[in-house]
Amino acid sequence: MAMVTVEPTTFSVVFFDASVICDWARDVADRLGFDGEEVHIVIDETSPLARWHIAGDRPVRLLVDGGAFEDTRRPREMAERRTRDVVGRALLRVLDRRGDGFVDAPPDDELTLAHAVAWDVYVVGRLARRFEHNGQRQRRLYQFRNRHGFSDAADAAFDRIWSADDLDWAALIAISDGARAVVTE
Amino acid sequence: MRKLFPADDLARDERFVRQTQEARIADPRRARVAEANAKRLTPDLPNGPDRARALMHGIFVGEVQALEGAGRTCFDFETGGGADDVPFELKLDMARQCWDEARHCEISVKLGDHMGTELGEYTENTTLYEAACNPDPVLRLTGVNRALEGLAIDVFNTMREFGDASGDPVLEFCEDWMLADEVTHVKMGSDWLRRLTDGDKARLDRALEFQRVVDKLFSFNGFRGDDDESPIQLTRRFREMAGFTPEEIDEIAEMSRQSRSEVPA
Repeated sequence: MAMVTVEPTTFSVVFFDASVICDWARDVADRLGFDGEEVHIVIDETSPLARWHIAGDRPVRLLVDGGAFEDTRRPREMAERRTRDVVGRALLRVLDRRGDGFVDAPPDDELTLAHAVAWDVYVVGRLARRFEHNGQRQRRLYQFRNRHGFSDAADAAFDRIWSADDLDWAALIAISDGARAVVTE
Repeated sequence: MRKLFPADDLARDERFVRQTQEARIADPRRARVAEANAKRLTPDLPNGPDRARALMHGIFVGEVQALEGAGRTCFDFETGGGADDVPFELKLDMARQCWDEARHCEISVKLGDHMGTELGEYTENTTLYEAACNPDPVLRLTGVNRALEGLAIDVFNTMREFGDASGDPVLEFCEDWMLADEVTHVKMGSDWLRRLTDGDKARLDRALEFQRVVDKLFSFNGFRGDDDESPIQLTRRFREMAGFTPEEIDEIAEMSRQSRSEVPA
């Protein structure tokens, strides 16, 4: 079982429950193979933004704006789907980086918007299959189109990435760059 | 059927969750929310597509409420020449507006599908409909057709530009068509305000004051303005086409700047 902690343990600005977030995150971590590993989640409850950042690999340390775990229908309340989505995306990206195929990937804050979105599509597509949910596929496609063009080539590139299980960094950015080249031609 | 239908009783299914204006204002993160939305909405922002999705959902619920409001105006007032009555031609205009708003609802739902947004994914605020509950038909028309439909002009134009900049022809053209309708709705408000207050300056002043209140309410945190960084750009050209004077547009821009400066640090 993964050893998950959440900071702060009590919230005063939002109506989050750290122990419930811990349970959701632990379930995701266990299913992704983080058995026995430490996963620390630090939440900035004063921020309604939805940003998150991987600040450490071993142990895993995630810095999360409160808005990333927030229910968009009920402001200040936490949302299970969004929490699982963010934790899953972060942890799968950690796993990608630990493998040989992503050693050439730049640090997260140096990724281009197109490459960041392409990687996210690759991550969410796998999460959707593994956890048997739709992964908000159309939302991801819309984000992908915004970075790669509203074209058949971009949609085909999205489908390749979304359905893939064994891409490495070079293959991923080759698909992304290929789709963008159609727009800029 | 009862008249002056309260916002609390509007029909919604379980997908929709409402947030009151009081709850929004009570959110201690209000300044951070303003900060988060402080930049002009463009596709090159990291969260640009998601902000556009959220705004599109706001447009959708706004269209639902605009339909409900225009429908109420057809029904809530008797036809006639008294102070509490409205001309039949005004009801015809409101009926036409219902037709437009119903079409906008359908377009907005399809745009939501296109952008990957679920119905009810974001909270609903009924402030728009509440402005359509004023018992004075002139104030209602002014608040809805000049203030809120004026805001719709600004929002649609911003979204149209977002679609253009991102190369999304579906978003760009849908917004362009809806924008054309909104200009007509605002023009209706401007025309009826002039006709119904002809020779009654006190009523005209009350109506314009109500419009200012609604405009101020929807300039929250300087969200809409004509500074380059305003997330929603005040659209001078279309507003002038819809019967606004340059001075009236300047006043809204100033109100927005003032509203931005009032955001607690």
